[in-house]
Amino acid sequence: MTSDRKDATGDIEAIRKGFETRGYICNAHIATSIFLAEKLQKPLLVEGPPGVGKTELAKATAEMVGKPLIRLQCYEGLDEAKALYEWKYGKQLLYTQVLKEKLGDLMTGAQGLKESMARLHDFDDTFFSEEFLEPRPLLKALWQPGGAVLLIDEIDKSDDEFEAFLLELLSDYQISVPELGTIKARTAPIVFLTSNNTREIGDALKRRCLHLYIPFPDTDLEQRIIAARVPEMEERLRNQLVAFVQGLRQLELKKLPAVSETIDWARTMVLLHARELDADLVRNTLNVLLKFQDDIDNVDGEVNALVSKAVQAG
Amino acid sequence: MSEVLGDFIRALRAADVRVSTSESIDAGNVIDLVGFNERETLRDALSQVLAKSDDEKQAFLETFDTFFAFDQFKEKPASVNEPAANENEQDEQADGGEGEEGEGGESSGADGPSSPGGGGQGGERQGEGPRPRDDLVSLLERGDQAALQMALAEAARQANLNRIRLFTQRGMFTRRIMELMGLDGLNEEIERREQARNTDGAAQLMQAREELRGQVRDYVEKQLEIFTANSGRQLREEVLSKMRLSNVDRSDMRIMRELVRKMAKRLIAMHSRRKKIARRGTLDVRRTIRANIEFDGLLFHTIWKRTKVDRPKVMAICDVSGSVAQVSRFLLMFLYSLQEVLPNVRSFAFSGELGETTEMFERERLEQALALVLRDFGGGSTDYGRAFEDFQSLAMNDIDHRTTVLILGDARSNYGDPRADILKLVHARARRVIWLNPEPRSMWNSGDSEMRRLAPYCDRAITCASLKDLERVVSDLLRTAV
Repeated sequence: MTSDRKDATGDIEAIRKGFETRGYICNAHIATSIFLAEKLQKPLLVEGPPGVGKTELAKATAEMVGKPLIRLQCYEGLDEAKALYEWKYGKQLLYTQVLKEKLGDLMTGAQGLKESMARLHDFDDTFFSEEFLEPRPLLKALWQPGGAVLLIDEIDKSDDEFEAFLLELLSDYQISVPELGTIKARTAPIVFLTSNNTREIGDALKRRCLHLYIPFPDTDLEQRIIAARVPEMEERLRNQLVAFVQGLRQLELKKLPAVSETIDWARTMVLLHARELDADLVRNTLNVLLKFQDDIDNVDGEVNALVSKAVQAG
Repeated sequence: MSEVLGDFIRALRAADVRVSTSESIDAGNVIDLVGFNERETLRDALSQVLAKSDDEKQAFLETFDTFFAFDQFKEKPASVNEPAANENEQDEQADGGEGEEGEGGESSGADGPSSPGGGGQGGERQGEGPRPRDDLVSLLERGDQAALQMALAEAARQANLNRIRLFTQRGMFTRRIMELMGLDGLNEEIERREQARNTDGAAQLMQAREELRGQVRDYVEKQLEIFTANSGRQLREEVLSKMRLSNVDRSDMRIMRELVRKMAKRLIAMHSRRKKIARRGTLDVRRTIRANIEFDGLLFHTIWKRTKVDRPKVMAICDVSGSVAQVSRFLLMFLYSLQEVLPNVRSFAFSGELGETTEMFERERLEQALALVLRDFGGGSTDYGRAFEDFQSLAMNDIDHRTTVLILGDARSNYGDPRADILKLVHARARRVIWLNPEPRSMWNSGDSEMRRLAPYCDRAITCASLKDLERVVSDLLRTAV
């Protein structure tokens, strides 16, 4: 046990490095959660404001562990037919037609109804077997040989019933198909759930998951992220840009710019061949960063102060 | 599960973090995985298993920092420094102690069976009760802080310090821990030295004893703080929520505000799930076919289309005149919180004139908004007739069959015509009219109260004097909103 413990820090560091080589920059906290999710075989519920890289985390993990990423986007009205499995009706119908005559052959010589029934029973489940099952993301993740990374995106958008339905999958990695019985995972998948907190997730679900909250990154982390994602940007401009965005997050805005917006903005700057942050440039490109006209209007007055502060910091 | 973890979870629960049994087990597994060696890693890891919302994360971090802070002995000046390396057994103990530097190591002193470095001696120590007197004496003389810390933690465990609940228990626990650490032996030794005219030695030990006492007291204080972090506040909240709103003291305003906010949040969390009802008569073809595949396409089991139920539209009218000033502060507070979480709340305030306060609540912070409302609408003499007239011109057209109208006031109209006819109109259009009166029912209809004339046009007219009442009413309102 003691040796395991010593490895833990090393393992976590290795995970962080692994992410870094794949362009996903994160801190030890996030790496720890991946480590735990893998070791404890528990689903990981990731919360945080939009655009901080929740979905990206699942993608990076899939790439790192070398397993396919299976993604289920949640929305209102999502039900098990779309999330779990569906019968291939067409195929079933076709087979029934084709096999009709065979069925006649089968029945010939049967004495009375009882025996015909008995003969039929022998072939009972032919049409409700795995052959005719169309796996949807959840079932696919369970069936994937060698395991998979399952991403259940924006769980808060789905209905309560669906949330409850997930409980069996998340705690035991198995699901029940009435016609077939219980299907267990061949290899337990690594499960990510993301939520933007548009509604409170149920306690039962939370209890089964590890819980990770990803906040906006601090200056240092954000600089590293931009460096990794937009490597062609000069360091000086990068520092200014990050300082500006960090300053922007201190303001009262409807929607604060997230990392994804910072990256977009950095790309814009590179396209415009900008070398230095100045107030006009910022004003002209502010719509990349802010998505509400109200916010843009509000920030307009502050731009000069923020820019000069950012230039100093850079 | 180790005892440290148990204590930690108890401390978390005291700090309002809900930890279920299965989560405790997870936490045990996490500790097996990451161990006590890296404080940061342990904190990160445990926070993901035990704290599952923003508030809880915050509380977790605070509790973690206080709980795993073992610094009593570190600040102590190294006054007692005589090496007494003639007793083997103690040497071992000292080594064990020194080997486990850092918070994690020390905490595991109380960890008994699973303490990492202390296998042998831990077993020996357990259940042994007070250890030989010379133990403590030599520990003090050597000034071995790590070992002292471990001895203290172990004594605290035996004394069941984690059961401490009241500050009056501090003295008792301090004494008991001192005794368990070997106070008697220490006293005897001091006496013996005095008799042997070794005054220096005796004085030195006495000083060490006093220092130790101080440290133990600090430790007990800290534990008390950890395990009862919230109980005082919880008690006060409990009392306040049942107290009549008009009797709440101004000094409790801050707590009340917090309570109101919490309550609104809880209500919304409970009712935010959008309800669906079946619309009889419209078949949901897709779902029906899907459901009947197992019957070979025969439609045994029909599924009907369902419509979502919209959240209730609420219009709240709040009396802010002098007679209900105390209560209206809370009602406004509650309205404000409600408006933050419910999308369709329009609020109005009046004493003489009535005006809409929806925007004010949206724009301003709570204190500011309350002050503004009271300035603009408060203080005048109540005139329900006028207020209803204003309400009619402002909002009557927006009242429809989904609107709930909530009126908060004492119905004392200074003998003016309360214009019950307008309320009748409102009642006819609205889904529901609810009147919350801060006065007890026996006071209704006395003096200038017009409840008798107004109540017939309310679907419900009830007394609402405390936060508990308010919560019940609003919960009801949200639940039955169809």
